[in-house]
Amino acid sequence: MTVRAVAVGCLAAASLLFEILLIRVFAVEHFHHVAYMAIGVAMLGIGASGTVVAALGGTTTSAAQRWFAPAALATAVSLVVTPVVLHRIALDLTQLTWSATQWLRLGFVYVLLALPFALGALAMLLAITLEHTRPGWIYGAGFLGSAGGALLSVVVLWFLDPTRALAIPALIAALGAAMIAWSGARSTGRFAVAALTLALTSLVVVRPLWRVAVSPYKALPQVEAYPDARRVAERLSPLGWVVAVQAPAFRYAPGLSLAYEGDLPPQTALFVDGELAGAVTHWATNEPDRGAMEVLRWLPLALPYALGGRLRVLVLGAGAGMEVWAALAHGARRVVAVEVNSALIDATTDLAQLPTRATTAAQIDWIAGDARSVVARTRERFDLITLVPGGGITGAAGGLHALNEDFMHTTDAYADYLQRLTSDGVLAVTRWASEPPRSSVRVILAIAEAMRRVRPAATQNGIVVARSWGTTTVLAKPAGFSEADLDRLRTWAASRQVDLDWFPGASSPEAQYNIPDEPTLVYAARAAVAHPDSARRFADEYPFAVAPASDARPYPHRFLRAGSLRTFLRSGSASWLPFAEWGYIALLATLAQSVLLAGVFIVIPAALHSRRSRGPSESLLPVVAYFAAIGLGYMAAEIAVIQQLTLLLGHPVYAVAGVLASILMCSGAGSMWSDRVAPRHATRVGAALGGALAVLAAVLLALVHHFQPLPFAVRGVAAATLLVPVAFAMGMMFPLGLRGIAGDHGKRIAWAWSSNGFASVVGAPLAALIAVEAGSQMLLVVAAAVYLLAGLIARGSVVGHSWSWPRSRLLAVFDRAASARHPR
Amino acid sequence: MPRLLFCSLFATALVTVETSAQRAADTDARFSARRVAMVDRYIVGEGIKDSATLHAMRAVPRHEFVPADLRDKAYDNHPLPIGLGQTISQPYIVAFMTEIVRPRPGMRVLEVGTGSGYQAAVLAATGAQVYTIEIFRPLADSARSRLERLGYRGVTVRHGDGHDGWPEAAPFDAVMVTAAAGHIPPALTRQLRPGGRMVIPVGSVYGAQYLILVEKDAKGAVRTRNLLPVMFVPMLSGPR
Repeated sequence: MTVRAVAVGCLAAASLLFEILLIRVFAVEHFHHVAYMAIGVAMLGIGASGTVVAALGGTTTSAAQRWFAPAALATAVSLVVTPVVLHRIALDLTQLTWSATQWLRLGFVYVLLALPFALGALAMLLAITLEHTRPGWIYGAGFLGSAGGALLSVVVLWFLDPTRALAIPALIAALGAAMIAWSGARSTGRFAVAALTLALTSLVVVRPLWRVAVSPYKALPQVEAYPDARRVAERLSPLGWVVAVQAPAFRYAPGLSLAYEGDLPPQTALFVDGELAGAVTHWATNEPDRGAMEVLRWLPLALPYALGGRLRVLVLGAGAGMEVWAALAHGARRVVAVEVNSALIDATTDLAQLPTRATTAAQIDWIAGDARSVVARTRERFDLITLVPGGGITGAAGGLHALNEDFMHTTDAYADYLQRLTSDGVLAVTRWASEPPRSSVRVILAIAEAMRRVRPAATQNGIVVARSWGTTTVLAKPAGFSEADLDRLRTWAASRQVDLDWFPGASSPEAQYNIPDEPTLVYAARAAVAHPDSARRFADEYPFAVAPASDARPYPHRFLRAGSLRTFLRSGSASWLPFAEWGYIALLATLAQSVLLAGVFIVIPAALHSRRSRGPSESLLPVVAYFAAIGLGYMAAEIAVIQQLTLLLGHPVYAVAGVLASILMCSGAGSMWSDRVAPRHATRVGAALGGALAVLAAVLLALVHHFQPLPFAVRGVAAATLLVPVAFAMGMMFPLGLRGIAGDHGKRIAWAWSSNGFASVVGAPLAALIAVEAGSQMLLVVAAAVYLLAGLIARGSVVGHSWSWPRSRLLAVFDRAASARHPR
Repeated sequence: MPRLLFCSLFATALVTVETSAQRAADTDARFSARRVAMVDRYIVGEGIKDSATLHAMRAVPRHEFVPADLRDKAYDNHPLPIGLGQTISQPYIVAFMTEIVRPRPGMRVLEVGTGSGYQAAVLAATGAQVYTIEIFRPLADSARSRLERLGYRGVTVRHGDGHDGWPEAAPFDAVMVTAAAGHIPPALTRQLRPGGRMVIPVGSVYGAQYLILVEKDAKGAVRTRNLLPVMFVPMLSGPR
């Protein structure tokens, strides 16, 4: 039994690891939003396995015994076959709008990706059937295995490139299958097959049978095709695969002024997951030098230095160091550079000497970490805090990362930054221009709102908006801009052909250099500084969603409204739509696909089965409803908690992996412990969960903000205190429900598995959608409601160890009541 | 007997040639009809009015500029791959960019990013003298031979670095960049004649970009205007 549990743990670890690695591989080979879409559908394989088993009449213990080992072996084999076949399909998603062949290939990819998940889930389902008196033990082992898979993904992505990393899940699954084969009934054939599978999967790790190829439409293969181009550095990290390419013809000067007439220095291109992330510039000297670094004075990031006196600078999102060099070139004496991707810092260090305390006269510190955590904990004050758009800016402009949480650009973040300024300090936020304006408008509204929190009196004269041909920079100065400040900014802007769209005292500034269709930024700034109500009205009436993001809804790159969709289609401006928000559209597509397939594979068959059943006691609807509810609730709670605790713990990858692993481990412990609890207590557990999640919805974000400035150990304990009891209880619900139907276990277990699997898959995009539209607090409320519902279903249904329709319970109650009034 | 055999063979060949010629003519007629429909629906229908542009779009056989297996898609309104990660722009964008530079006979136009040569052919069909640069040698060579075969004499194709423009042929009445860039190369602005116009997609590479119109006035000052969002391949520098 222990071996079986360990084997199930291996299969669960392999499945989750495969899912995470597929997301990384798809992000490299295509784009991020494709990854979410494909994986979302592939996970339907989990639910489909249960539906197939149920359709075949469920499983008996003997059938489970016979097929458990083969299913585990098939899982390991499929984890090799799937990537091999996947990389032989010529999928070009840019042709989806006009090529039916690509749709067929995409459909085949969906089925192919679903296969290993379906087989792995089948093996686990069979294991649960074998352990039907103690399903918590097996289910808990699955949770623990998944936790291991989540932690292993971080380790694997540090040391292996995406091609080789994709071979690891098969090896883990093969280990699990081998354990089953060796420990079960002795069969020479099975033993040999298991050994062969283990050998094959080991070999594939050493010599993968596929190669992850970057999309030809991405920047990396294009730059590598330049004359004399060569790859000079490569770094792996969970945050992305970093590649550096030197090519004499590569040039990088984002937003360079039209008035600049000089040359560009030699540069090395940096890519993350195949997309351009910036460049390392090879200055002639390591010391700031007017001649060598002249170009830095003609980039948008130079605007705040026109004010003079920016001696202490904090650079958030320092990337390859261009902003740091700019600070030095403008006379900064103290620079703190924060970059979350340490692999990017390492690659830059490999290529060129980064400015450090040892190499320059300035005091420079590089911090590999999360910007919000650094700002929350530092006691330093800065003359300038600067945020510039990321190197490749592909996500911001293309909407590809519309759904990526970004805590750096929320109102709460801007308020934190403003509070770290010196008395004369300035916050500078630069975004790429878009047509019609979106991110720039949001930054203006968010900065105004942050100013109102920190220094309400300064809102009117503390904001400047500057617009070049390609970028918008918003400056915020709590002390207010003086006339001397404005003169310096005007002089700089005129020489760089930058328009000042808003400044204190402006009425209706006229654009001189970069003519917009509409002076949208003027309108936005005017509304933002006038009054919170006018700012809110402006955001409500704007065709795109531009209201400031908050820590409860940290999606500052998401702009599409469903209403805007209809407007654009009606107006004939359909050419705008493809570039609006691929991430959000992909989320809607994933949800639609999941709901449709879940309906086809679970709801309709369950409803048909209920109509054919012999009586109410055999109805599947309570089974489907209960397990679907806890599937939805689990995903909703998991996503909300991960999002908020990521802000608390800092670092988007380690925090997510750590929190996810913790949730899964605690749920695993809860599952295992639930075998000691009577099934009827599912009601109490559901009610307790509903209450706890409702409380978390009310207090979690406030607690996060309260603990954020404290040392990591304290934050970790706080996170664990909040997380452990909830996750433990969440893990109990599934096994308690299973034992409630153990008396009729074969088919009902399959339906339970299927409905829970499908609900989890539908729950992921649905929860993401709720988080985007209504925030994580609402998501927790939804999770609370769903668990309460599950508890109610359990209350009305569980009788001893059998599952019966609530109606018979009600009838029994009425009978007793009638007898009491009319004693016979 | 041999004479009879020869005559039979000759007659068969003649019929075959005539059949092939008839087929080719039918194909040309079919593509021509689709080209007219494309212009009516996707170009005139979307607001393009310039007569020179419309004439050029009706005249240039777009199907000659796409891979053979995609010819049936040549007159649909979307980009098509042409190899090496490059694409031929959708017809509407080609027409839009052409109209923006105000084509007229004799004007000198610099195009950066030859690709298949379609945009250059359209510009040449308006009577402009076109200088076009392509960074990928295979594309430059195939575009050159294709344009020569189709009789576009007003186009000079060079394999070279688009960032540096074409100083020996400057100044230009118009500069048209069909490959995206994260910045506007100073050389292109310098080589634009006063009164000239440059159209360039800028913004993020391989994400969504926006067309920028750069106008240089009589005194040499430049102003920009954002046009509509598009998607292009990136501008690449350096011969290969």
